[in-house]
Amino acid sequence: MLNSNLLLCAVFVPTIGAFAIPFIGRFSGIARNAAAFILVFVPLAASALLAPAVLSGRPVTLSYTLPLGCDFTLTADALAVFMAIVSSFISFVIVLYSFGYIRKYSHLSEYYTMVVFFIGSMMGLVYSANLIFIYLFWEMTAIASWRLIGFFREKTFVLKADKAFLITVFGALLMLLGFILIYTETGSFDLSIIKSRLGPGALSNTVVLLILFGILSKSATLPFHTWLPDAGVAPSPVTALLHAAVLVKIGVYVYARLFVATFSIGAIWHTVVPALAAISALVSAGAALVETDIKRIIAYSTVSQIAFIFLGLAVGGEIGLAGALLYILMHGLAKGGLFLCAGIVEHGTHTKDITKMGGLFGVMPMTAVSFLFCAFSVMGVPPFGGFFSKYMVISGALSNNTWIAMTFLVGAFLTILYLFRLFNMVFMGEEGTQSAREGSRIMVFSVAILGALSLVAGICIQYPASFVETAVKQMLGF
Amino acid sequence: MILPMVLGILVFALRRARPAADLCAVIATAANLAVSILLFKGNAVFSRAWIGLGFEFSLRLYNLSAFIILAMAAFGFLLTLYSVVFMRGKSGACLFHALVLISLALANGAVLANNLILMLFFWEALGITLWGMIAVGGRHSFRTATKAFIILGICDLCLMAGIAVCGHLAGTLTISKITITTGGLGGLAFIFMAIGAISKAGSMPFHTWIPDAATDAPLPFMAIFPGALEKLLGIYLLTRISLDMFTLSPDSWASFAMMSVGAITLVGAVLMALVQKDYKRLLSYHAISQVGYMILGIGTLLPVGIIGGLFHMINNALYKSCLFLTGGSVEKQTGTTDLEKLGGLGRMMPVTFICFIITAASISGVPPFNGFFSKELIYDGALERGKIFYFAAIFGSFLTAASFLKLGHAAFLGKPQKEDVKEAPVAMLVPMIIIAGLCILFGLWNSLPITEIFRPILGPGLEGHNFAGWPANKNLVLVTILVLIAAVANHLWGFKRTGSGLKAVDHIHYAPGLRTVYEKTEKGKLDPYNLGMKLADVFAGAAASCDKAIDWIYNNFTPSAAGVITGSIVKLHDGNYRTYMLWSIAATAIIISFLLK
Repeated sequence: MLNSNLLLCAVFVPTIGAFAIPFIGRFSGIARNAAAFILVFVPLAASALLAPAVLSGRPVTLSYTLPLGCDFTLTADALAVFMAIVSSFISFVIVLYSFGYIRKYSHLSEYYTMVVFFIGSMMGLVYSANLIFIYLFWEMTAIASWRLIGFFREKTFVLKADKAFLITVFGALLMLLGFILIYTETGSFDLSIIKSRLGPGALSNTVVLLILFGILSKSATLPFHTWLPDAGVAPSPVTALLHAAVLVKIGVYVYARLFVATFSIGAIWHTVVPALAAISALVSAGAALVETDIKRIIAYSTVSQIAFIFLGLAVGGEIGLAGALLYILMHGLAKGGLFLCAGIVEHGTHTKDITKMGGLFGVMPMTAVSFLFCAFSVMGVPPFGGFFSKYMVISGALSNNTWIAMTFLVGAFLTILYLFRLFNMVFMGEEGTQSAREGSRIMVFSVAILGALSLVAGICIQYPASFVETAVKQMLGF
Repeated sequence: MILPMVLGILVFALRRARPAADLCAVIATAANLAVSILLFKGNAVFSRAWIGLGFEFSLRLYNLSAFIILAMAAFGFLLTLYSVVFMRGKSGACLFHALVLISLALANGAVLANNLILMLFFWEALGITLWGMIAVGGRHSFRTATKAFIILGICDLCLMAGIAVCGHLAGTLTISKITITTGGLGGLAFIFMAIGAISKAGSMPFHTWIPDAATDAPLPFMAIFPGALEKLLGIYLLTRISLDMFTLSPDSWASFAMMSVGAITLVGAVLMALVQKDYKRLLSYHAISQVGYMILGIGTLLPVGIIGGLFHMINNALYKSCLFLTGGSVEKQTGTTDLEKLGGLGRMMPVTFICFIITAASISGVPPFNGFFSKELIYDGALERGKIFYFAAIFGSFLTAASFLKLGHAAFLGKPQKEDVKEAPVAMLVPMIIIAGLCILFGLWNSLPITEIFRPILGPGLEGHNFAGWPANKNLVLVTILVLIAAVANHLWGFKRTGSGLKAVDHIHYAPGLRTVYEKTEKGKLDPYNLGMKLADVFAGAAASCDKAIDWIYNNFTPSAAGVITGSIVKLHDGNYRTYMLWSIAATAIIISFLLK
């Protein structure tokens, strides 16, 4: 198949196909699940098939001219393909898990429609090379996540979904304003055209600030982060999908796409963004140590870890960038796994309060071990994958700004503390008041995959690392 | 060279077969030992591209690393033989053996690695196996396991930061190519790396998990890890960084800092050891205290001190693991390690008792056992650098001797508490006998390790210095002997006063001033881990309230602000004809004035 067709498939099969799911769901639940499975598998396969061409240095581009500089352009370079493979793979595992998790609830057609639609929009966002389409897909993910957070339809849940939607859309509107400012300056929304017209000069600080509002609110960084822990009211696979593995990486990805790969930004941002990220890492890690709701703890942990990714991207340099990209992969695998384990625990014990749990290791050993593996990866302990990404990010930061790197070191200490606190309270010690049971087979299988991959990604680090190295070289224009 | 590592992992796969598991473990460690013997005295470099960005998979075998590998393999073999018997029938025994083997492989990797990242990879991964091995110990030992993991994990992160700084300063991560001075960032790097090294060795203030592990973890774990392997690793790294990677001079702050840490550790820990009432806990405090001697010795940065420190490292690994093994025999045969419940075992377990005597004499520095010679070298170095360090070391020796007199008296002499105690099985005795034999060998023939192994490490320029043989400084020997005699006198006096071997040192325990310190320490109030946890809690509380404040803006402030604004706009639409007219006129006026401009 032609590479540009693959690109179209990756984006449009899920976004459009999602709307077929409710109709299929009218006839048969199994057919609906199968459809969702296929629709999620398509972008994964398409992205994977794109990889060889892209890695050998031939980015795939396809473009339809539209008026006002709003050309519809899709580009697959190493960065985009990396991001697409990571997010669609994790989404794929999460959909598998959903088959077990969501089975007993109602409105299943809505659930699968929204999930598939979300993944399709994500693919569109990743491959878009035009600011207007980035914005468009960005808001599409916001709509999908709004509906998914409020999936259980309780009044407070819906309010929390509204909160998430309002904060991210507020940021996105400011970002759109920034995009428009770029347009007035260059007369185009197309990234490659903008790049050639802007020349080597730095983007104006107002524009960067406006776009940063969007990025930080989507990636839940202080002070726009509080919607993320609240969004834990969603079904667990959704939390994993949106808030650990995929949605929050959008902001990070757009940062890499715009501020690293396309534009150059003023030197001051190389200090401001890491400093903001440092505060974000510490505050959310502290909050994670205090919280008692299992999903809120993991959500705060996400906020904290996202800050590490921002650090790696913002300090620049080959090592920092490579670390940040690897971090996206490792954190996605591990954090997705943690949320899915939390889902099993929540199903098994019918509570989210960790003070009421304990001793679950005996009841759900597979889940516990997977949880532990994922937790080690998030902590950055070898031989798990998180070790390399954490080392590279901190190493990149140290050669840039020692103080900020030290702050992140403290953040890494706290990560060990809160994850072990969580693990011990849930899986070790005295048995909790609830009688618990292990999750269904497909759920345990999904978390085991993510746990095992966290380990494999560390031991076979050379494969993702070489991919990332190519991506970094393309981003820096070598 | 990679064979030991592959073997460890291979055996892990075989672990599932329960009956064969014990045999597999023994064969695997034996093979590891054989390979290490073959490799000994070899010199080789193995290098392969790994990740790019300066991350190379490179291993280097040279005299020091070959020796450490050999020592670890020997301990691994002997202690596995022991623990196969010790752990028989206990739950988690298979998992424990598998973890020991993996740890052994990782430790081999850490020692052989010639790239800092690769070293860190193996080094930090040991934290996980450590966690597992302690957690196997029992239902509640996960708390201690977590404590150990958190302490070591945090120190390993420091090591990681140190390595990153090193890589930044030196421009390479290959260990044998790095030379850095300790000014500015280099100093930071040194501190971080030294924290990583001494925390692995179990020095203060990173020691507090060791006594807890002594109570909770399976006993062979104590003999293998805090007893032997971790000391070897930690001191190995400390030697590498202070001799090869950083250019340090004996009068630098780094040297002073290391010696201070060493001196404080050796006195502080032995003071704690003195008052313990449990066989294993007492030994575990000595495991910490002895690290102090090594750090003190290496911290002098004088050839005599460094050789003393390294010699002490191997000696300590020998006698300390053997002491733990005697503790294991006692536990296995009597079911307890509480000194209150032990006594008179000397007659019933003669072989264990003899091994205990030899190793206790070694650790106390009684000539002609090995501990005496290494301690004399360290004394020599310490005296040259400052009297205070020498006194600390000598005082530590006094307390060490006193506490072992107490331990031996309480456990093996006195009135038997139980009658029908038998000697331990042969498979447990053999490792003990071999190690005790090595203690004597390294004492009587100390030129074997010193001239053959340790002197070449320091390189040329030491001709004319022969550190082997009887210590050069006769006055130091005299002082040592006097101190030992004082320790015996102290014990006899205390025994006479209280009538019990166990309480022979109570006059130190309940001495004014010391008593309150002891009470606080026993309650964990001075535990740096607990203090750190409290600090983390305070910080977390502050961070959480900061977070709540931000959330309040979204949850309360924004909605009410929106409410106020919309409310006031709504009020403007009061349905009154006159109000709307006024609005229209005002707006028209504004438009006209704008147009007229």
